Amino acid sequence: MADKKKRRRADPDSEDEDSVGHGAQPFKKRLKSDNVILSGLRKLTESLQSNNTDQKTLTLSDLDLSFNCREVADLNLSSVQDAVERLIIRVTQSILSGSGFSFDVPARGNANQLYIPELDRIVLKDKTSIRPYANVSTVRKTTITARILQLVHQLCLKNIHVTKRDLFYTDVKLFQDQSQSDTVLDDVSCMLGCTRSSLNVVAAEKGIVVGRIIFSDNGDMIDCTKMGMGGKAIPPNIDRVGDMQSDALFILLVEKDAAYMRLAEDRFYNRFPCIIITAKGQPDVATRLFLKKMKTELKLPVLALVDSDPYGLKILSVYGCGSKNMSYDSANLTTPDIKWLGIRPSDLDKYKIPEQCRLPMTEQDIKTGKDLLEEDFVKKNPGWVEELSLMVKTKQKAEIQALSSFGFQYLSEVYLPLKLQQEDWL
Amino acid sequence: MDTGGSSEGPVEPKKGKSKTPRKAKESVLKQKSPAEFFAENKNIAGFDNPGKSLYTTVRELVENALDSAESISELPIVEVTIEEIGKSKFNSMIGLIDRERIDEELYDDFETAKAREKRLAKEARDQEILGKSVALGKKVKEPSAQKSMKGRGEASFFRVTCKDNGRGMPHDDIPNMFGRVLSGTKYGLKQTRGKFGLGAKMALIWSKMSTGLPIEISSSMRGQSYTSFCRLDIDIHRNVPHIHLHEKKENKEGWHGAEIQVVIEGNWSTYRSKILHYMRQMAVITPYAQFLFKFVTDAADKNVTIRFARRTDVMPPVPSETKHHPSAVDLLLIKRLIAETSKQNLLQFLQHEFVNIGKIYAERLIGEMGPDFSPKMAVKSLTSQQIVRIHQLFRQAKFDDPSGDCLSPAGEYNLRLGIIKELHPDMVATCSGSPQVFEGHPFIVEAGVSLGGKDVKQGLNIFRFANRIPLLFEQGADVVTRTAMKRINWNSYKINQTQDKIGVYVSIVSTKIPFKGTGKEYIGDDISEIASAVKTSIRQCCVQLKSKIVKKIQAREQQERKRNLSKYIPNATGAIYDVLKEMAELHSSKRKRYEEEDVEILKKVSARVITANTLQEKLAQHVEQVDYEMAVDYATQSGVSEEPREDSYIQALEGANQFVDFHSPIFVFRLFQ
Repeated sequence: MADKKKRRRADPDSEDEDSVGHGAQPFKKRLKSDNVILSGLRKLTESLQSNNTDQKTLTLSDLDLSFNCREVADLNLSSVQDAVERLIIRVTQSILSGSGFSFDVPARGNANQLYIPELDRIVLKDKTSIRPYANVSTVRKTTITARILQLVHQLCLKNIHVTKRDLFYTDVKLFQDQSQSDTVLDDVSCMLGCTRSSLNVVAAEKGIVVGRIIFSDNGDMIDCTKMGMGGKAIPPNIDRVGDMQSDALFILLVEKDAAYMRLAEDRFYNRFPCIIITAKGQPDVATRLFLKKMKTELKLPVLALVDSDPYGLKILSVYGCGSKNMSYDSANLTTPDIKWLGIRPSDLDKYKIPEQCRLPMTEQDIKTGKDLLEEDFVKKNPGWVEELSLMVKTKQKAEIQALSSFGFQYLSEVYLPLKLQQEDWL
Repeated sequence: MDTGGSSEGPVEPKKGKSKTPRKAKESVLKQKSPAEFFAENKNIAGFDNPGKSLYTTVRELVENALDSAESISELPIVEVTIEEIGKSKFNSMIGLIDRERIDEELYDDFETAKAREKRLAKEARDQEILGKSVALGKKVKEPSAQKSMKGRGEASFFRVTCKDNGRGMPHDDIPNMFGRVLSGTKYGLKQTRGKFGLGAKMALIWSKMSTGLPIEISSSMRGQSYTSFCRLDIDIHRNVPHIHLHEKKENKEGWHGAEIQVVIEGNWSTYRSKILHYMRQMAVITPYAQFLFKFVTDAADKNVTIRFARRTDVMPPVPSETKHHPSAVDLLLIKRLIAETSKQNLLQFLQHEFVNIGKIYAERLIGEMGPDFSPKMAVKSLTSQQIVRIHQLFRQAKFDDPSGDCLSPAGEYNLRLGIIKELHPDMVATCSGSPQVFEGHPFIVEAGVSLGGKDVKQGLNIFRFANRIPLLFEQGADVVTRTAMKRINWNSYKINQTQDKIGVYVSIVSTKIPFKGTGKEYIGDDISEIASAVKTSIRQCCVQLKSKIVKKIQAREQQERKRNLSKYIPNATGAIYDVLKEMAELHSSKRKRYEEEDVEILKKVSARVITANTLQEKLAQHVEQVDYEMAVDYATQSGVSEEPREDSYIQALEGANQFVDFHSPIFVFRLFQ
């Protein structure tokens, strides 16, 4: 404690700060009035909105790449149905001719992924692998693929949505465990060249949103300021979401449920008009689609609040550049230009987060951190590289909850406002 | 201080002796004999409790027997008998009359009236319940036999006999070899089985402590016309033998070897499995020996007789005594070597009393020691300071590593045979490392890895050997256990660490095994030289196994391929046919238009020319064809199809054939003339 005070005194900025002991909220004095903070934010939002009007987002076809990339598009039901039928007819012909059958499945392994800096996202190259029926190592997968195709065909005919879990339960005996049917489902959407939502298969809802946004979900108007503390679950079928309206100045992306709860309960979005969204950890497809849709329709800046550990940054990268598993659909799933607001490794010292709230990084953490430093999506942002290097060097990590050591509401009342006031994002 | 006297118990016949030291009340400077020291600290030598004492006695006797037979290059035959002795029999042996209890309340297991009431009430209740369940026709367990109430006084006694066909002992040396602790033949620097050179002596001390009965030794040497018989015990305070009987008997059969019999307190029921494991592991590492193990007791159903047959007649060479390596000596040792040496001057001393110091190197060393050293100076005239200087230089100077020639590893061939013989594994791989050095002592690591086998549990089964004796206790901290559990990625060798029956055998031999702990039961994990040698050897074995495993998997796939491929035919064709049927319906109801080519197929589906069965048959045909092609491929690749193999062993030839042996670490080629 004594050591800490000494350091504070040495800090020239800390003169206006009252030197109260433990339990007080440091830096609170430095906060300016909300209006000042808001005006700063407004400038940012406006510049973004004016900028974006004349700038078109790049697509793969705009780039003159030396190789082909595989990208999928939203297809309507009848096109999906056509694609499945064409495939089945081809397979039938092949069987009838006595040469068995096989599927030509795009490879989705690590070697077939590529980060394209111009697009700032991961894309899938066009390598494919043949999946023949008459081979011991692929017979199961081939059979599952045929079965999934048939199930998708049924969904097309009946025009309904099911969850991945539903799909799995239609033939538990064959699929054995859900990860198998899920993987093949991604293969199938890749093979047919459509997004997974076009197959009418959705994941269970995981993400939630609260704040200054109004949108229609399957025809019902939803006002997210009136959703109570829990917020609105992000609907899995993004195609039924529309009519987005908002007076927010920014979107706050939160990694974790706990921090989200704090902000929602404190009605942070009323003090600083914003939309708060979380996927409770690794983001699912629906949340990513929703974020993308908000960003493109409302043209708001996205600020991210994640843990100060390698996984926090990884989650950030999934929102920003896409995951390797879903790289075939990265065009629809990624939200470019997400700002890293906090908690950044440099914040640990800047906000004097006490030692007991910091955790030592494990071997695994450090390895993940070092691996991330090699990733292109980190390298393109010098600020991120600096922060991550600092993390690996100090070997310390901290969760968003570490801020609670200054009081539970420190996050919403001091930390975030101060960050916004200083426009301290990367 | 009359430890000896008091611990001998009330049965000790010679009480008079212990009276003398009792007079000394004031603190006097006392001396303790080595025998006394070990009597008081018997846990150091593995005599922690009666059970462990029985185990340690057996192993000390067995190891002595093996050493003895190997020293004369005789294939060992060892017979171990443990005979349980009941209390009355024991009493009659020592000449004590069984006494009835008169004052019942005196005893620890006396049942007070209250306790008796309680017990009777409980028994009555049990009877009642039993009666009820019998009446209801339920099956009931036999009421468990009343636990015999065992007080502290109820010890069990065993007569342990071990007979070998070894060197035997010279008639006159027998008393000193058994009745004097820390006098032994194994104190030179070489690879030995024994731990402290205590061996049978510690068993004798224990027998004296627990039963008071003497040890009996019969021995005969090769070509001797008589057998020596000796009955003796040990005077613990003076560390000298106390001979009861020492005589020569006629030797009719021309037997040579030793037979040692000792009666001790022990515990068979708790250490039964340890003793049997020990014998089994000993048989693994010593396949050239024949063991007969017997346990005899009054209850006939508990008798055990196991014979571990000999499988080879190739014995590892007798380990040779070696000189010390300069980096492995300490001050005391240098002083002792100086005192014992026959060499006159320093140069000769350095050159002849250590390994890896040649003449030229010795001269260079002496030059480096300083001006007050010279090659010709008398070695016995060195002052303490000068010896310290030599020691310092030994620690700093660079020497070649000692060679492993003085070691006698079990040999890959023997290890392999031992594993096959005792565990009957499905697969086995062995590997012998090259000699390496730790702190001036050479060591060799040999390893074996087996899969499957009888009496092997799932997961890792670790067999540790140090200087060719099994280590059974304190497995958890041992370098072999740690390495096998943590540092080997079994998966990468297609071995399932939890499901497969894996046997890991590691034998380490050295002139000095760096044991940890007082019991010398494990080798620490902190010696990186040994840890990495162990890891490399185990890996080597795994690499050998991997190719075999992969082949086996391929062969199994070969057999199961058709079944696996056919299994999914209904699923796959069913799914495809479902889509076709839907399409056909859409087509016939004219809700959707299809291309010409497709229409043809859909019409056939509607007309039931193409059905799910058609698809199934066609796909099955295709599978059949692919399977046939692959089978042909496999056959051309792997050569002639493998006949089921059977293990066969060639009997050793009797009689004195003339032959020449060609030895290699993995096999022996014998050429008959």
